[in-house]
Amino acid sequence: MADQGSQVSTGTKVAFAIGSLILATAYFVLLDWKLMDIQGLDFFYLFRK
Amino acid sequence: MATLNKQAQKKIWAFLALGTFVGLLLLPLFLSLPAGASGGAPAPAASTAPPPAQPAEAKPVEKSRDIWYKTEGPVVGAPAPKTTDSPKDYPRYNFESRVILWVALQQHLYYGSFVLAVPIFCMVVEYLGIITKDKALARKYDQLAYDFVKISLTAYSLTALLGGIVIFTFLTLYPTFFTYLSSIFRPVMATYALLFIAESGTLYIYYYGWDKMREGFLKWVHVSMSVILNVIGTVLMMLANSWIAFMQSPAGVDSEGRYLGNIWHVIHTTLWNPINVHRILGNMAFGGGVVAAYAAYRFLTSKTDEERAHYDWMGYVAMFIGVCFLIPLPFAGYWLMREVYAYRQQMGITLMGGLLAWLFIIQAVMIGALFLTTNYYLWQGLERMRGAERYQKYIKYMVFVLITCFIVWLTPHTMVMTPGELKAMGGQQHPVLGNYGVMSAKNGAINTIITTTVLSFIMYQRGNKVPTVKWAPIGNAFLFGMFTIAYINIIGLAIYGYYIPANVRVGLSVPQVATTLSCLFIGVTLNSIMLSGAKELGPTVWGQISVRSQYALIMLATAFTWMMGLMGYIRSSVRLFWHVNEIMRDNSPWAFTHTIGFGANMISFNVLFFWVTILFVFWLGSLGVKKAPTAAPVGQKVPVPAGSH
Repeated sequence: MADQGSQVSTGTKVAFAIGSLILATAYFVLLDWKLMDIQGLDFFYLFRK
Repeated sequence: MATLNKQAQKKIWAFLALGTFVGLLLLPLFLSLPAGASGGAPAPAASTAPPPAQPAEAKPVEKSRDIWYKTEGPVVGAPAPKTTDSPKDYPRYNFESRVILWVALQQHLYYGSFVLAVPIFCMVVEYLGIITKDKALARKYDQLAYDFVKISLTAYSLTALLGGIVIFTFLTLYPTFFTYLSSIFRPVMATYALLFIAESGTLYIYYYGWDKMREGFLKWVHVSMSVILNVIGTVLMMLANSWIAFMQSPAGVDSEGRYLGNIWHVIHTTLWNPINVHRILGNMAFGGGVVAAYAAYRFLTSKTDEERAHYDWMGYVAMFIGVCFLIPLPFAGYWLMREVYAYRQQMGITLMGGLLAWLFIIQAVMIGALFLTTNYYLWQGLERMRGAERYQKYIKYMVFVLITCFIVWLTPHTMVMTPGELKAMGGQQHPVLGNYGVMSAKNGAINTIITTTVLSFIMYQRGNKVPTVKWAPIGNAFLFGMFTIAYINIIGLAIYGYYIPANVRVGLSVPQVATTLSCLFIGVTLNSIMLSGAKELGPTVWGQISVRSQYALIMLATAFTWMMGLMGYIRSSVRLFWHVNEIMRDNSPWAFTHTIGFGANMISFNVLFFWVTILFVFWLGSLGVKKAPTAAPVGQKVPVPAGSH
């Protein structure tokens, strides 16, 4: 969402966006795995088969 | 010196009052504990007299096994009666007794839910009024809390009256069943009655003492009373929940229904806590809806801009609180369903895969309508803020996502078909749409809907503001990344579920929920922090909102009411031909499940009846001294709530 008065260049914004996508991916994969593990289930079930 | 004495006297009085309420709260527990465990006479006082001689042939205590907890206990109660279709067990009018009880219970539940939710609103809003630094806003919050409790006062009397009608209906139409239930829950029912006295006493002093306890230390005492009021109310609800949880998933009795002396076992059945959590959340959502609808009505009939602004704001606050509790409600419902399945798989299948499955499709439609309406109201709210037009362009994408998810959410697994249609389709399920009728798709859909609602709210928070913190670009990028991956994660997990066994798939709902809740807590918190000290593009003009938005609030309230009636009907009818599941059979002539159409008509009647009577309650509340909303002095902005609203 565009905000006025931002001094950051487009390239930097794209870099921030890519960085946050990587961070979010890591967070959610970890969350998924951990929450399945707590229940005694294998999150990567399909890939182990 | 005189002033100091007077202040000291006030403090002593305040402590005494608080102590009395806490004592009233605890008194029923002290009274019922000695009698409760055995269900017999209280323990005798200590005595110096020698104990009476034991009878020559002491009867051995029969023991039996708890059907749920599997523990052994002494048989204290009689077995569950085997009723027959007779005037003795089922006295009746020339009318279906079940329908009479249904109406009485549903009305009692509606009013009970309302009067449990409103004090929670009062507590939160009054507390906001104390901690808000802006004096004008603090007065508005305080006035709002007072208005809330004023609305609910008559509702308390109606709740009690309806409770009395429920008891009389049970006694006169289901005497055998009620005798059995009350023989087991005797101390619980006694505690319930005493707590009601405590609740009423606390409420009256809370309401009538409002002005006297307006400032300083007494104000904190007043807020503490609202906490006590809510504790009492919550305990009342939990005690009543124990009766219905026992009927659905009995424990504490043996296979013949004989009470084994452990009152905690009969209270703490397996469905008790899921019902408790679901009902607290449901009460808040429902109460928020009803108050918001009241505010919407007052908005639509306002004569001045100040009045309109006040009721617009009131409706927003009530809706906000209601929707805050609507968001976790599907998760609580899922927990309840999961526990039902764990308790008795057949019961779970009856609910969502059998006789009552179509009612869940109706529920899906209602929930979708609720979330669509909530989002719509938030988008309409953007009209209040100059500068919020820049977010209008995103609405169409959010509508698309919401509608798509809504369609997936309401798609049934099996259609009602003629043999010809069945043949044409090649089976029970449609080759494409049938795939959307299973839980994997449903979980994905509802989590996406909730995440989109969170996004709408973040957009609303930002409406007329531009973040000025130095790290705003990083914050924005973080929000973008988090929501993007959250959507991919939720939908990805939904697709993944199709390819793994059921026991693993069921576990996927937890990460899906956690994803949604991450977006909610992290997203809203981060956004709020980012907006501290933000540049305002224009003020929030309360009252400047379309009339359609108020109809949306009324729609929310009606949908909440209808859903409560629907889900209550489902919960009750899943017991099929049992009064107490697998313990006491229903042998009345009405031991059958009504058609869906009949059920829907009954629910609609209950909804209509409730809304007609609550309008009477609101009218009563508007009588007496009318306190005008805080009017802003000429030249001063109408105060806006704290934070980014």
